[in-house]
Amino acid sequence: MANDITKNRKAILVTPENCIGCRACQVACKSWNQLPGIKTKNNGTYQNPPDLASAAFNIIKFSEVPSQENPVRWLFLSRRCMHCEDAGCMAICPAPGALYRTAEGAVAFDHDKCISCKLCVNACPFDVPRFDEEGKVSKCNLCADRIGAEMQPSCVKTCPTGALKFGDRNELISAAKKEGFATIYGENDLGGLGTIYAFKDKPKLYGMIENPTIPSSVIFWHSYLKPLSLFGLGGVVAAAALHYLAIGPHKEEEEKKEEV
Amino acid sequence: MAEMIRKSSVDEIVNHWILAGSCILLMITGYAFLFHVESIGSVLGGFNTMKTVHNWLGVVFVLSLLYSMRHYLRDALEYDADDKQWFKVAGGYLSHKVKVPPMGKYNPGQKLYYLVILVFGIVIAISGFGIWFMKDNMTVMLISHLVHNIAFCVFVIAVPVHIYLGTLANPGTFKIMVSGTMPLSEAKKKHPKWIKSVGKV
Amino acid sequence: MTNHWIDLKNSDVILAMGANPASNHPISMKWIMRAREKGAKLISVDPRFTQTSAKADLYAPLRSGTDIAFLGGMINYILTNNLFFKEYVANYTNASFLVNVDYKGPADLDGLFSGYTLETKKYDKASWAFQKDENGISLKDPTLEDPNCVFQLLKKHYLRYTPEMVTDITGTPLDKLMEVYKLFGSTGTPDRVGTECYAMGWTQHTVGTQNIRAMTIIQMLLGNIGMAGGGINALRGESNVQGSTDHGILFHILPGYNPVPNAPLVDLAAYIEKNTPTTKETRSVNWWSNRGKYITSYLKAVYGTAATKENDFGYSWMPKLDVGMNASWLMIFDKMYKGDFDGFFAWGQNPACSGANSNKTRMAMTKLKWLVNVNLFDNETASFWRGPGLNPKDIQTEVFMLPCCSSMEKEGSISNSGRWAQWRYKAIEPIGHSLPDAEIINELYFKVRELYKKEGGAYPDPIVNLSWDYGTQDAAGKVKHVDTHAIAKEINGYFLEDVYDTKVDPPKLIGKKGDLVTSFPTLQADGSTSSGNWLYCNSYIMKEGKPTNMMARRGKDDPTGLGLFPGWTWAWPVNRRIIYNRASVDLQGQPWDPKRPLLKWNATKLAANGKPGVWEGDIPDGPAPPMGTDGKLPFIMKPDGVASIFGAGLMEGPFPEHYEALECPLENNAMSKQRINPTIKIFGDKIDASFSCDARYPFVCTTYRVSEHWQTGCMTRHCSWLLEMQPQNFVEMSFELAKELGMSNGEAVVVSSGRGEVKAVAMITERFKPFKIMNSTVHQVGLPWHFGWQFPEDGSGYDSANLLTPNVGDANTMIPESKAFMVNVRKA
Repeated sequence: MANDITKNRKAILVTPENCIGCRACQVACKSWNQLPGIKTKNNGTYQNPPDLASAAFNIIKFSEVPSQENPVRWLFLSRRCMHCEDAGCMAICPAPGALYRTAEGAVAFDHDKCISCKLCVNACPFDVPRFDEEGKVSKCNLCADRIGAEMQPSCVKTCPTGALKFGDRNELISAAKKEGFATIYGENDLGGLGTIYAFKDKPKLYGMIENPTIPSSVIFWHSYLKPLSLFGLGGVVAAAALHYLAIGPHKEEEEKKEEV
Repeated sequence: MAEMIRKSSVDEIVNHWILAGSCILLMITGYAFLFHVESIGSVLGGFNTMKTVHNWLGVVFVLSLLYSMRHYLRDALEYDADDKQWFKVAGGYLSHKVKVPPMGKYNPGQKLYYLVILVFGIVIAISGFGIWFMKDNMTVMLISHLVHNIAFCVFVIAVPVHIYLGTLANPGTFKIMVSGTMPLSEAKKKHPKWIKSVGKV
Repeated sequence: MTNHWIDLKNSDVILAMGANPASNHPISMKWIMRAREKGAKLISVDPRFTQTSAKADLYAPLRSGTDIAFLGGMINYILTNNLFFKEYVANYTNASFLVNVDYKGPADLDGLFSGYTLETKKYDKASWAFQKDENGISLKDPTLEDPNCVFQLLKKHYLRYTPEMVTDITGTPLDKLMEVYKLFGSTGTPDRVGTECYAMGWTQHTVGTQNIRAMTIIQMLLGNIGMAGGGINALRGESNVQGSTDHGILFHILPGYNPVPNAPLVDLAAYIEKNTPTTKETRSVNWWSNRGKYITSYLKAVYGTAATKENDFGYSWMPKLDVGMNASWLMIFDKMYKGDFDGFFAWGQNPACSGANSNKTRMAMTKLKWLVNVNLFDNETASFWRGPGLNPKDIQTEVFMLPCCSSMEKEGSISNSGRWAQWRYKAIEPIGHSLPDAEIINELYFKVRELYKKEGGAYPDPIVNLSWDYGTQDAAGKVKHVDTHAIAKEINGYFLEDVYDTKVDPPKLIGKKGDLVTSFPTLQADGSTSSGNWLYCNSYIMKEGKPTNMMARRGKDDPTGLGLFPGWTWAWPVNRRIIYNRASVDLQGQPWDPKRPLLKWNATKLAANGKPGVWEGDIPDGPAPPMGTDGKLPFIMKPDGVASIFGAGLMEGPFPEHYEALECPLENNAMSKQRINPTIKIFGDKIDASFSCDARYPFVCTTYRVSEHWQTGCMTRHCSWLLEMQPQNFVEMSFELAKELGMSNGEAVVVSSGRGEVKAVAMITERFKPFKIMNSTVHQVGLPWHFGWQFPEDGSGYDSANLLTPNVGDANTMIPESKAFMVNVRKA
């Protein structure tokens, strides 16, 4: 990624402390991205749809954890694409432009360019990409069209309590630190996430993955196999050329001479 | 006109071309996926079509590969002392001065090459099918992806060597791949043990 | 709201009790969270650990229906620990007033106040009056020591509400109870302000009005009324419900909170005399002394030129209630159930799901000859005849559906909880054949008028004399399309003549004939002005000779820094953002809390009339100088000029007293022999049954709302995005209860009450905990009331929780007790 993009990288800062679980973000996302409603049922929790879906780019996770003070602690966490700097999905995607980096640093997708291979799904450390009925990748794109026009992502725009903030990534991080949040999740993970979380508690309490990583096979493939396939071919061609020039092809005459 | 001897049957030649063609196209499209070569994608009408082409070429390739066992497998599994000696002199490719031992229909380099292609061909096909059909199983998908790419590396190294040796490095060899026949005189020199076995001596 | 939404950010302590703002008023949380950022504390008191509780600094559970016990204990705590704001209480409330020596309270009469008659279930309030001197002025003891003064009576009344007694009733853990008392009690100092947010969690009880009274007393004791960041704030459940009550949607009030006349008030003079309070307090503004001006101007707005001095401005054309007649929701449906109505307009509502004891409302509608449903969608009301348990063949009711359009499809004002009348514009054209409500009314009106004109009828005058100047007319005199601005202007009112101030010599012109009235002090009682709603005078005024819509203003200046935004739309009255704001200053007019200077008397600055002394800040409650000079008392709407800690206005008594809900898990009220509110009306039919302490219905139940749905869900259930998040009716219960009943999370169960049953998905959670009530365990469950059988069409959402709720109402308002009743839960 070019330096100026890193410098101007935008991000969403999620502050679960401020989230009231009203889920206006879920609706605003659907509204802007024109996503259909999903037929769900109540599974004994407020959380619905149960997880991200091709038509649900973000959800609020509701979890009840023990509390010393109260009967329970009820946690609300916005789950969505992390827009990783080192994005497993982008690395593994075989179709150019299907997953791409916007000028603001978002990992966006192009429905038409997706070849439905689903490799991205399996390379994502956060289990984010989903596939729609047409088998095309579908996930949060940080409202690339809105932020490209200098508007806030739809979810951020609607959030009443500032649990979602959008802005310059570095500024968001330093502001959150100044406010005294113990952990800025995603500050450095995977080269720095584009969705960062400010936690007072341990991120694990909210069910966040500790030290997220791209699957090692993908890293191995990306770091070694990909170059090897190129250098391997190049090497063979070079060796053949060298052989042809230095030793040359098999010659009947020489053999004859020898036989004689 | 010199007396000719048939080295390859017609179906062998046809199958070899199918195998070779699908393999090369698979490699080209494979590279296009790996390095996002959009020009290759455009030739095939975009990456979506290219994916379909790649997948079905894979089917063609593996069927052709399995069929080729009829032609090559038996030979590829038989080795003798001369074959051992052949390796010692590196098939005579590193120097034209060394004495290359008498060979059968195929030299051990070709035979081993075939085994490599057969094994990795099956591996790349199975892993390809894994990526194609097991999209929702993360373990299968990731292992398939890795294996497919390892096999790909083998192919991109082995296949060009084979092509070089079958063309520029051994002038005249390419003609056999077209006609299936070679001059008996030449065959006597290059494949004395084979000629002997077919009783043309 | 005495204050407004943004003002929540100015609080030090925010008590959310009887409300769940995080779920139901998410925008309020924006300001609550801002306050918290500055160090404010949020307290959540709720039977269930809610989304608000999840964000609160302090959570205390209480059993549904025991708020007065909880708050009474707080009053006791404030008084015994001397946490009240003495100067405020002594000067701005009636704490010092001496009450009639005959007055006796529940401490003396075992739960009753003096004057009760069992047969009528009513109080004779004579003994609740104040002692007067020979001039008719109430006697006071500024030291608050007299045993008959309000303050001492208050103390005596709430002395019984000991923390132990309270926890026994409410089930609140003692430590949590004391923490709440201590924290909220800390706002009794001049430099600290507490606010209260309530919603239906307080109103929908048989003691609903008294719940709010109890909190009002606390806020008066702590000096929090009139303050920025203070007040008592009803978080209203609909974007324009404030507007609808302002404009007289309730049966007993006309627009501007003028009472609906009743039959014995035969003429306007009698009406004015009866409804105009008088006072001998010389420093009381007694604002309602202007009643005559407001009602006359109202009649002029309604009947226009037909209203003349000679015909009493059309007073006789106004519909009248019989004495004691109650025409509230529960009564209407009781009468409908008994077959007393032929027809019914269900306008923008869904009684089949919203009415308490919905089985009764559904059955009541089967007795109708016709029903007109005016709504965005067909709903359970319009389709009641094909609802569960009903056979369409047996039902003769003819149903008409008039599709109306949504607020996005029309222009007009919406009055929010903070009393801001905000003008909105049409975003899209109405869909299909739908019409704005006003257009539907317009069509109906002209058709009805035509029939009256043609056929005469029983009493055509009220219809044919209506002023209907809302747009250009066609050849037949019918208004073609309703101009919302014409309505807004009529509500504001006009000078119908040149009006002069005759108190000055020579008389000064106040308003020119034909101009919009500037403000309600210019309204006249002689028919020379009109105003559809005096409270909204000043909302549409003349500026530089042109009518200007104040409600359409979008100024973003905040000169005080308190978030008043005086240039943003318009708030009633006269753009006052915080009412009773004169109580936010001391006797010299200086703010109690200089950090929050809502209002400030500048004694040296010259006023418009050239005299020194002006108020700076919010629009003051009247221009009079502060009390310490020759000014007026701060509570201008009260005849006594002060806030009523002791108030004789309500049915149950001058002080709130704890009574159990009609349906409760206890045989006895721990406070007294009087188990339930002695003044409530209980309907007596089989269908009205209630079951207290009945083994068949052992669990306390409450209803509530979720963020994703609104009211009966008529609008939101049709939105697949919202249905996706909350697809089905559910019942929340504790792990302890689920274990007892052998239920697992997510399974379908049946909740039943003595009136009906409804299916729901069991949601088993730590957020409900069993209560320890007087050494026994009481379980509580709760469910939302957004669902209905008709949509989703597959019935997967289940039916309305109001099939369970009892049709018993608050003694003052008749609002049904849907927040505390008894149920059973069984496996489906």
